Amino acid sequence: MIRTVSLYKDYKLGTGVYHVLEDINFHVPTGMLCAIVGPSGSGKSTLLNILGGLDSATKGQYWLNSHDVSQFDSTQWAHERNRTIGFVFQSFQLISALPARENVALPLVYRGVPPKVRRAKAEYALEQVGLAERLHHRPSQLSGGQQQRVAIARALIGDPPLILADEPTGNLDLKTGQEILELLQALNENGKTVVIVTHSQEVAQVCRQIIGIQDGHVVRNTLELEEMR
Amino acid sequence: MTFRDGLSLALSGLVSNKLRAALTMLGVIIGVAAVIVLVAIGQGASSLVTSRIETLGTNVLFVSPAGGTPFPVTESSLVAHTLPYSDLVVPEMAAGAKISTLSVQGSGSIDGTTASYLQLGGISLATGHFLTPFEVAQDQHVAVLGANQTASLFGGQNPVGSSILVMGQQFQVVGALNAVGQGPGASQDNEIFIPITVAQTLLSTNQLSQLVIKAASPGQANLAADYLTNLYTNQFGSPSAVSVASEDQVLQTLQATRATFTDLLIGTAAIALVVGGIGIMNIMLVSVTERTREIGIRQALGATREDILLQFLLESMAMSLAGGILGAVFGLGAMHIIPLILKTPAVFSPTALVLAFVFSTAVGLIFGLYPAIKASGLDPIQSLRYDG
Repeated sequence: MIRTVSLYKDYKLGTGVYHVLEDINFHVPTGMLCAIVGPSGSGKSTLLNILGGLDSATKGQYWLNSHDVSQFDSTQWAHERNRTIGFVFQSFQLISALPARENVALPLVYRGVPPKVRRAKAEYALEQVGLAERLHHRPSQLSGGQQQRVAIARALIGDPPLILADEPTGNLDLKTGQEILELLQALNENGKTVVIVTHSQEVAQVCRQIIGIQDGHVVRNTLELEEMR
Repeated sequence: MTFRDGLSLALSGLVSNKLRAALTMLGVIIGVAAVIVLVAIGQGASSLVTSRIETLGTNVLFVSPAGGTPFPVTESSLVAHTLPYSDLVVPEMAAGAKISTLSVQGSGSIDGTTASYLQLGGISLATGHFLTPFEVAQDQHVAVLGANQTASLFGGQNPVGSSILVMGQQFQVVGALNAVGQGPGASQDNEIFIPITVAQTLLSTNQLSQLVIKAASPGQANLAADYLTNLYTNQFGSPSAVSVASEDQVLQTLQATRATFTDLLIGTAAIALVVGGIGIMNIMLVSVTERTREIGIRQALGATREDILLQFLLESMAMSLAGGILGAVFGLGAMHIIPLILKTPAVFSPTALVLAFVFSTAVGLIFGLYPAIKASGLDPIQSLRYDG
């Protein structure tokens, strides 16, 4: 599903250059539940943003779904995000002015799906995450756990093969975090490739592949260890 | 994203900030309403002038001296006797003056003329009689009042038989005219007509303001115009010393003046529209800043730069178009009310309505473009992290 080859990300700071990611090489197979772990500032969120096309690598190759997407322009990435990737963010990233159903339906707006079909699909997606009764609630009228469920429903609605989750349990209490994790596991069991950026050991433990990042380098990849064995 | 979705997004953006949208639209509303009302009033005045001049007939000439050119009262009888094409020659000696009764102080124009003035047409008597040849010949201190003078000096009551003071001298009112509205030059409604013989003494001058000549036919009027132009050019050595203008020429001059005035008014209204557009741009820039995170979310979910551009552009256009519609409604309403207050007619111009709409939509497009480009160029990561 995902393959990176010598991926680098640099930031210019004044006259100097700050290396956020250096020589990142890994492979996430289709259908994998993968955790990217590392301390704060290690570069794991930057890596996830590059994987989602929200940010671009300074150099290196990135293969997504067997396509080299390293040179994609902003329009190509917009289409790719819309069809291939579902995002789940730590801070939910819901539009406060829209009710849950309209938030969930948003990816389909950019796919040209007619409003009636969008609404029906959004209602079904919200049912799947246990929020059938919260269709018309705005984000401010929902708890943190419910907001994250809405975000997951939104990530699912376009049926993308890849889910990228950035600290999805970071803003939730232990019990709600566990529920969200179970939801992501269920998605993976249904065939989605799920990549979770986390600093939580509990989250990492349920993943079959763990990629450790430290100071911008991959320092651990459980999949490689398994393959070596 | 489909156009329909973009429009729906734009409208929901406006509805969620109703007061701000309404205040932003105000400039466009005022601009569009102003264009419609001002053009209507300009066209109304223009059509009135046209109809007033047309009532005089197409065979009338206006002969007036340039400043400094001697043009004595005797010129009237000279022209009357020598001009082969003239049917009627009416001299006029006009000046501003203080006019009062015992209880009311006022002002207006005195028009020293002869009994023939009535035959020019364009005026009609409400009561009494116009100046008679006998009153003119006998230097009698008699006066005929225009409608506004009757209203202001006598409160609309019948003034015939009453006395008025004109430049300190007593005159007896012998007649009052019906209202005629705006005419060429000063309104006859504000004038009082006195015998030209009395005006000579009162104004201590022998100089005519103009001669109005009525020919037997339009063709004869043209011949008379050529004859007089040659006559005065030879007499004074310059074609501009005495102006000989046909009704058509006067009409054209007046229409040109009106058109310039209307253009000026439209220009002023256009400035209001441009100011309205700047208001829209300002608010749209604020909106883009406020909704930076929303833009990031939409980009993450698959919105292209074009989708974001369309969303914000449609929002600014919807705002200016709504302003245009409201402005048209207010303008059409005001077009019916303002003439009642200003006592001037208004003629609806479909062209002005269409122009106002096109201009207001263009304002939304032009002034919405920069904020929309700014929104579409935002970096997704920076936008998602924005904490405004």
